[in-house]
Amino acid sequence: MFHIRNAIQMLGTRVPQNQRLIHTTSIYQKSQSGRYRITPKRDFPLTYEMANAPHYIMQRKSWNSWNTSNVLGGPRPSETAVEDMFIRKFVTGTWHSLFVSEIIIKRQHNLIRIAGIIRQAISARKMYFLIGYTEELLSFWLQCPVKLELQTVADKRDVIFKYI
Amino acid sequence: MNISSVYLKSFITRSCGQRISACLFTTDVKENIEIPKRIHRGPTDILRALESTVKRDYTAAHYKYHDDPYLIPMSNLGKRTFAMAQEAGRKAAYWVRQENADLFQHQEADPMIKSFAPKIMYNESSEVTIQDLNEVIEKSYVFDAVTIYKLLKSKNVDVPAVAMQQLLELLCFYNHEEPLLEDFIEERWFKQSFKGKERQRKTWKDGDLAEEIFISFDNPNEEAYSAIIQGMAKYGQVDRSWQLFEEALSKNLLLSVDAYNSIIGVANFLKEAYDLRWTFVLDMLSMMAQAKVKPNLRTLNNVLKTLSTMGTSKIVKENALKTLAEFRAMNIEPSLASWYYILITFCKERGPVSPILKNIMNELEGKDLQIKDEKDTFFFVTAMDICHHHLHDLELANRVNNLLNLHNNYDLIGDSYKESIYYRHYITLLCKTETLEEFMQNTYLKLVPHIYVPEPSVMLEILKCVEANDAVEYIPRLWSDVIIFDHVNRENLINLVLNILVSSENAESATLAERFSTIAWDIWNKIENQNENKINKISFTGEMLGKIMTLLLKNDDFEKACIVMDKLQNDQTTVLGVSSFEALELFVNHCVKEKLPSKAISCIQYAVDSGFEDAANLAVTLNTSLTLDETHLSKLSVIVGPDVFK
Repeated sequence: MFHIRNAIQMLGTRVPQNQRLIHTTSIYQKSQSGRYRITPKRDFPLTYEMANAPHYIMQRKSWNSWNTSNVLGGPRPSETAVEDMFIRKFVTGTWHSLFVSEIIIKRQHNLIRIAGIIRQAISARKMYFLIGYTEELLSFWLQCPVKLELQTVADKRDVIFKYI
Repeated sequence: MNISSVYLKSFITRSCGQRISACLFTTDVKENIEIPKRIHRGPTDILRALESTVKRDYTAAHYKYHDDPYLIPMSNLGKRTFAMAQEAGRKAAYWVRQENADLFQHQEADPMIKSFAPKIMYNESSEVTIQDLNEVIEKSYVFDAVTIYKLLKSKNVDVPAVAMQQLLELLCFYNHEEPLLEDFIEERWFKQSFKGKERQRKTWKDGDLAEEIFISFDNPNEEAYSAIIQGMAKYGQVDRSWQLFEEALSKNLLLSVDAYNSIIGVANFLKEAYDLRWTFVLDMLSMMAQAKVKPNLRTLNNVLKTLSTMGTSKIVKENALKTLAEFRAMNIEPSLASWYYILITFCKERGPVSPILKNIMNELEGKDLQIKDEKDTFFFVTAMDICHHHLHDLELANRVNNLLNLHNNYDLIGDSYKESIYYRHYITLLCKTETLEEFMQNTYLKLVPHIYVPEPSVMLEILKCVEANDAVEYIPRLWSDVIIFDHVNRENLINLVLNILVSSENAESATLAERFSTIAWDIWNKIENQNENKINKISFTGEMLGKIMTLLLKNDDFEKACIVMDKLQNDQTTVLGVSSFEALELFVNHCVKEKLPSKAISCIQYAVDSGFEDAANLAVTLNTSLTLDETHLSKLSVIVGPDVFK
């Protein structure tokens, strides 16, 4: 199934390219986004999420944002996208260099749940402070209940799936 | 139902089927089908029904904590700091929102949800109206209400009488202090509430705005009088409250039942002598009857409260029961607070033992309790205290505990302080009355650490119990708990653990000996590696070191034992007391086993220095079991004298 679709898409992109003599439009970079290039020393760490290319979503890995905005006729798609971006920026900034995984945002009814894995680099007490702060400030901003669902790892290498 | 069951039987017993069917046709069964009335459901009823199927999970921490090993609190201190840290974070968010109020004016929801928007700030230059005043009074923002009221006054706006009355009531209720926001539940939970028996101090703010408002009324009506009397009585300004009460009566004003209640509640401040106090309460009640004011639950509770302050005499108890009966006759059912006052009236520390709690439990058992009085939360902790100290009744304690865990009754435990006292009594009582095995299996392993973390004193009781039963198999678990709960700095606990381990008779098996030696080495490390700057450092005693050494040697950890021996010898100035002789003997025996005479000799040296008379015997044993060379022999003879080897 996937092979056929890829083959068709490759045909679709390749054929016109062959005919053009001067390249004027940006090429269709589907085969590059969400993928990582192998480094010469093969020491670039990848988490499980990074190690699987986008076409493995729903096969080997899952989405980073869970909502019903992008289904047909879903409510407020653009707002959701912008808000998710805001949440990711806010959380990475507030939990400075603590998140070692992607930030997963799950929406159910009016509830937003933010999940992720963090390093045990600061004391548990400080983590609780940040949890309270993040939940409360985001819920003031987004005006709905926000919950954090965190897991901790002792070492950031614990989440490394492979090196490329 | 009946018919179908008969059918079923006829299928099963075919042989007598005919007889039954004959019966079936002859009996004249009239079934009236009753369609049940529709039960009206609220919007959250399904959620409540679902919630009632979920029981408290004893293996998990409270759900306010994050479910992750690193973030689950283990000690009492941890529970407190983590929850409070989260609340501090929330407060920081409130502050950020308040500081940048102009940025938080967007509206996501329609209609707008007001609690997400920042609070409106009022200062000297704000434009205010009567409506603003009404709004802040409704939200009980005391400071804002005062600011707005003053602003309105300075602009000569007439505040309507209703608003004035409401403002007065607000000020009297909170005594000009801003109440803690309702959102901060943890602060409320961990706040040390004032104890019930503590004598109340006067905190009423004399001459503040409440009194100004009251004076500004030309002819204060009964509502104004009621409000200020209640406020003053609540915050300890008893004399003036009484003065105003009399003033209102002389003006023939019809005071509210709450005003009467609060005056009855402070009777113990108004009248010193017990009999005067009681006549005063009776006077009040007859005054209420004359004024046709119907008493309520609070009247009952305040009468009982006054009775509970009147000593141990028999009449007081009789009066308390009579009061209960009389209020019952008026259809006023006592709440938990009433039972609390009854308990403290009947079960005084120095009074005779009273089994009244049993009767109360008969009354309460199986009930779904609701809070009706602020003192309701004192019942469970007091009841458990009485089960423990007054009655020593295990069965009753279990009944109280069952009641607490029924329905939503756990909401009435009060706050963290009362909860921990409740469990302190419960656990200590169980530990003293149940067999140790039952206690450990059914209670300790269930409640500790997520529901309750034993305080050092409770831990000591449990360890004493273990000592009495020689149940050393529990020691590894208990010791790991002691470490987790951060009790290692308690010298009495450490000593007791060592005592139990050394004197245990079950410790012969190799696995236990190994675990004990691990514990002993653990204790050594904890004390040896204490932080230099720590205030309450524990120091080794000779006895302690001797025991550690014994435990290590029982597991043949000779090298570690040598380290302990070195400490004993080299730090005689800092180590208090001396080790027991048995420990030294054991050490010498092991030296013999390892063929290390020099270590043995230094141990004998220590034994002689410590003044053990049997030290010479050690030298003889050493000499007979090992062939010593010249230098060793000469050293030994210097230590114990040359006569010994002859």
